[in-house]
This record gives sequence, structure tokens and C-alpha cells, in this order.
Amino acid sequence: MTAVGPDLACGRPGLPRLLSQLGYDARAGAGPVVTVSVAAADLEAAVRRLAAHEGARLADFFASGGNPAIDGDPVVLRLVWGLDCDRRYLVTESAIEGERYPALSDIAPAAFAEECEIFEQFGIRPAGGKPLNRVVLPPHAGPDFPRLGRPPAQEPAEVHAQHVVGGHAFEFPFGPVRQVGVESLYYGLVTSGEEVVDLYLFTWHKHRGVEWRLRGRTPREALFHVERTEGLGAVGAAWAFAAAAEAALEAAPPAPAMRARAIALELERLYNHAAATAALCQSTGLTVGQAAAEIALERLLRLNAAAFGHRYLFGVVDIGGARRGPDTAALRRGLPGAYGELRHAADALLATNSFVDRLEATGILTREAARRLGLVGPVARAAGVATDVRADHPAEPYSSRPPAVATGQSGDVLARFRVMLAEAAESVRLIGELLEAGAGPGGADLPESVTGRSDRSGLGWAESSRGEALAWVALDGSGRITRARLRPASVRNWRGFDDACRSQNVFTDIPIIEASFWLTVAGTSR
Amino acid sequence: MPLWFLRGLRRGVVTTRYPGQPDASAAQLPTPPAFRPAALTRDLADRLAAICPSWALTRNGDVLFFDAGACTACGRCREAAPGAVTASGEFELAATDPAHLVKRIPLLGEGGS
Repeated sequence: MTAVGPDLACGRPGLPRLLSQLGYDARAGAGPVVTVSVAAADLEAAVRRLAAHEGARLADFFASGGNPAIDGDPVVLRLVWGLDCDRRYLVTESAIEGERYPALSDIAPAAFAEECEIFEQFGIRPAGGKPLNRVVLPPHAGPDFPRLGRPPAQEPAEVHAQHVVGGHAFEFPFGPVRQVGVESLYYGLVTSGEEVVDLYLFTWHKHRGVEWRLRGRTPREALFHVERTEGLGAVGAAWAFAAAAEAALEAAPPAPAMRARAIALELERLYNHAAATAALCQSTGLTVGQAAAEIALERLLRLNAAAFGHRYLFGVVDIGGARRGPDTAALRRGLPGAYGELRHAADALLATNSFVDRLEATGILTREAARRLGLVGPVARAAGVATDVRADHPAEPYSSRPPAVATGQSGDVLARFRVMLAEAAESVRLIGELLEAGAGPGGADLPESVTGRSDRSGLGWAESSRGEALAWVALDGSGRITRARLRPASVRNWRGFDDACRSQNVFTDIPIIEASFWLTVAGTSR
Repeated sequence: MPLWFLRGLRRGVVTTRYPGQPDASAAQLPTPPAFRPAALTRDLADRLAAICPSWALTRNGDVLFFDAGACTACGRCREAAPGAVTASGEFELAATDPAHLVKRIPLLGEGGS
């Protein structure tokens, strides 16, 4: 296990050179987000340059516009690049006329899932005719189904990634209804009975049209729905969304409210890592270990309720600040015991050979695969990719107290488990510092409207327990949302799951790998 | 495995006595609102219905309908009108018919009818 500071994780900053290569003023972009317009004809070349740049990673890719009620309204493609060494995000905007754009996933493989989603939601597709997966909308989504833009001229067939069924292999369907308390998810498993030959997922069973429902609402009204994008990541998603709205509204939350958010975010990380530990025990058949981890989980959830009034920390984040502050005394009283419960369970697990043996060399993701697919969070860090937006793109209170970023090298389930345990310890340390500094509710004054200003959009981010959560918000003149893009970490990391499952694993390893990824289906299908 | 056996013996029983006995942690749970009819007017009822993000509140004439099944106990109505809305403290909401979760609250405040 390695702990790295943000400077050690980075190479040299490269934004000025990058902007110069793209034909922009190299001095542009004083703020944390640099937005540049790229003509559709130049998009492919720009993506080639950005994908080849060592310090750039494709963090998100989404569309807006394409309103079917407005004839000829172009779809605008936005690619969000994390320039972690520069501590900036670069957003490229390209208006697309017609129904095709360059096949960006041929250059940057991390763009493929978004190409599929953009086709479902906006009806435009990458050139070249490659098969696209169904990722968000269900098969019964006809032309009148609520979408963010125009429906595709031709509905996609029920397609999924190419896979091989040959020899003694057969396809084993599993889900979408699984065991009690587990989200709906369909696995298409190609197996010879033991080895996993191939695997694909259908995640659209939990699509609720969250982004579609946000349109026309004020950011404050929308926050209620954003928190419910994935219930186990309410704080991370809400923080990213609130930060995006605050960037659009130019509102700066007060420092005590930011510390309240950060305490809630670290508590969210703690209980999620405890829940992942319990799930790992369940998947390895270690029932007594599962009970021990679940005792820790329950204590942490009760601590959340005592500190913030909600077991899953809903209602803490507000646009411009925090609706609730922590009960400092309850946290100081309860945190050592609740974390101690997790630590003792983890120590016992790491001393149990039958448990460690099932984790070691299982579900391996290489560093190269994690980078290529744009993975984030503990999954990427366990493979040696030290991306953590608390350190790479710090906002208060993390800029004045950067966390130590835990990383691994082996990229297997055991490395992910160890990274989670190291992060839990770091969260406890951070909560202590934040409590010392003082945290409480409060908010900035928000403008009644945003009339008279042309650029009404903002990008926000937070390091959720699953990794970098992003949100992008555009507002109209009355301050209502015209487009909100929510990109929880689950959206990125599911694309690494099938890679991890294929890496020399057997059928029974899959639940173990899924527990170590600890993602949500709700977050990815939204 | 002996490690886990000894650990379990040391840890003892941790499950609560609920529902035989109340669980103290329940006091920290967010619960649906309770309304004071005498403090509710038509205007206030409309305002509360407008801010409810899960459409659990609707007004019909001089009655406020509250659907506890739709309520997420977010607390927005309580924050908006602390004199008319309090936390009910009820979290045992199971019903055999969803209609039993809908409560009729008469609007008895000044200006309510």
C-alpha cells in the first residue's frame, strides 16, 4: 500500500501547451474549469491530441441541445477532460449538425458508453456504424418515451458488445432480479461452466429519467432528485451538482458549510467501505465476518443519523451551502467506537487465510486498463492510478488539508479492499480536523435570476466513496435548469467490471469482484 | 475459524429487542410530519403542497390530504412552517391498503374556511 500526495501523483502541468496545440490562447483559463469551442470538423483531431496527452483523462462525455420542438436545434457534444496535473478541467464544446459525428471511442475507448447513451437520448451516433449497446433506456422506449433530445431515426436493436460463444462455452443469463436487497442487474455470462469467457451487463432496468426530470426546476428543487440518483452516494452526487449550480450562479458557500459537507462526505465514504467489507464477506461465504462488518455498518449509519439526522445523509447539502450541520458532540462520542468496530473486523479478516486467498489475484484490473477506460475511485487507485479529486482538483476544505491518497499496484480485489481500509482511516482523521475547524449549516445568497448573462453553465465535482462524481448544469434566464448532466462514479466504473471479470476468473469470483467494485446500478442508469 | 468463534463470544449479543421493546436509535430517524389543524390555513396548505418535493400533500377545499406513503420525511414542510408542522415520531407505517396511508387534515386556522 502506498500513500501519495497530490504532487507526487502528477507529472508536469501541460495546459498551456495543450491549448496552444489546439489553437487557443495558451494564457486562457485562469479558473479551475477551462471551456473551449471546437468545430465539429476539428473534433476528431482535438480528441486525438487530448487522448495522446499523458496528463489528460476523459472524465465525461455528454450532449445537450437537440430540442425536438426547435427545428434544426443542433446537438452540442461536450467532452470533459481531467487535467489532474494542472488541477483543471478542460471542457470542449462542439455543435453537431446532422446525425453523425466522428467515432471518438476509436480514439479514446473511455467514450464508448457515452456514445451509446447519446444515441439513445439524442439520436446521433458515431460514424462508422459500429454496434452500440443499450445502456440507459429500456427496450420498450418508443419515440414518445421521455428523452433529453430527439429519438434516433431508427431504434437500436437489442444489441450488446460482441462476445464469443464457441466450443464448450454457453451463455448463462443471470438477473435482473437477484437475491434480496441487491439491485436489479442482468448479467449475460459466457462460461464453460467454470471459467468466465465473457460477460456483458444490462443496467437499464433502473432507469428513472432523473436528468429528464430535472429540466425546468430550480437547482434547489432539483437537489431532492439528485440526492436520489443513487441513494448510497447522496452526498457525493449532491455536492457535485451543488458545485455545478454554484459555478453557474457564481455563489461561494461559507467555509463552515463546506466543512459540514466534507464531514458528511467522509461519513458516506466510511459507511460505504464498511458495506463493501460486509459484501465481500458475504460473497466469500464468511458469514461471521459479514456479521462483524454489518455491526460496524449499522453503528456508522446510526452515527450518521445522530450527527446529521439521516442514516444515509440525505438533506445535508444545499445549493450555496449546507442545510444541516453536524452534531459535533455526537460525532466525537460515536466515531471512535464505530470506526473501531470496522477496524477490528478488518484486522480479523486480513488474518483469515480463507478470506484473503479468495481476494488475492481475483478480478485483476491493470493500470493500463484503468487509464484506458477512465476508471476512478478505489478501483482505479488499487490499480495504481492515483486520481482523487480531493487532491487533484481541491476545493475547500480539502485544499487546506489535502488527504493522503492510498493506492495499490496489483489491481486485484485484495488491493481494492486494502485501499478502502486505508481511505476509511484517512476519513476518520479528516473528520477530526474538520470538527476542530468548526462546521455548521449556512448558505450563500443566491441571485433571484440570472438574466442578462449568456454563459449560464457550470461544472461541479466531488470525490464520492466510489470516486470522482461530476455534474454539469445549464440554467436559463430565470434560473431554471435547461440541462443537467449527472455523472456518478458508477457510470465510469461499470465499464471496467467486465474487464476485471474476464481476467482468468471463475464463475464464483464474480460476486466477489462486484462487491469490491461496490457500484450502484441506479447511479449508472439514472 | 477459532479466531472468529472467540471474537463472537467476546462481542456478545448485539441485536436489539425491537419490536418487543423500543429501540432508542429510532428517536434519531426522520419521520413524516404531523400537522396542527388549528394552525393550517388554505394559503399555508397551498404553500406546503408547493414545496413538497414528492407530491405527498394536496389541498381540496378545506382539507389537506397527506399521503404518508409518498412522504420521504425530508423535513421541508416542517422547516417552512414550524408552528403548524412537527415531526410525528412515527416510523411504523406499514398498511394493508395504500389508501390507509392517506390522512385527511381539516384546515381549521383563521382564514381556513
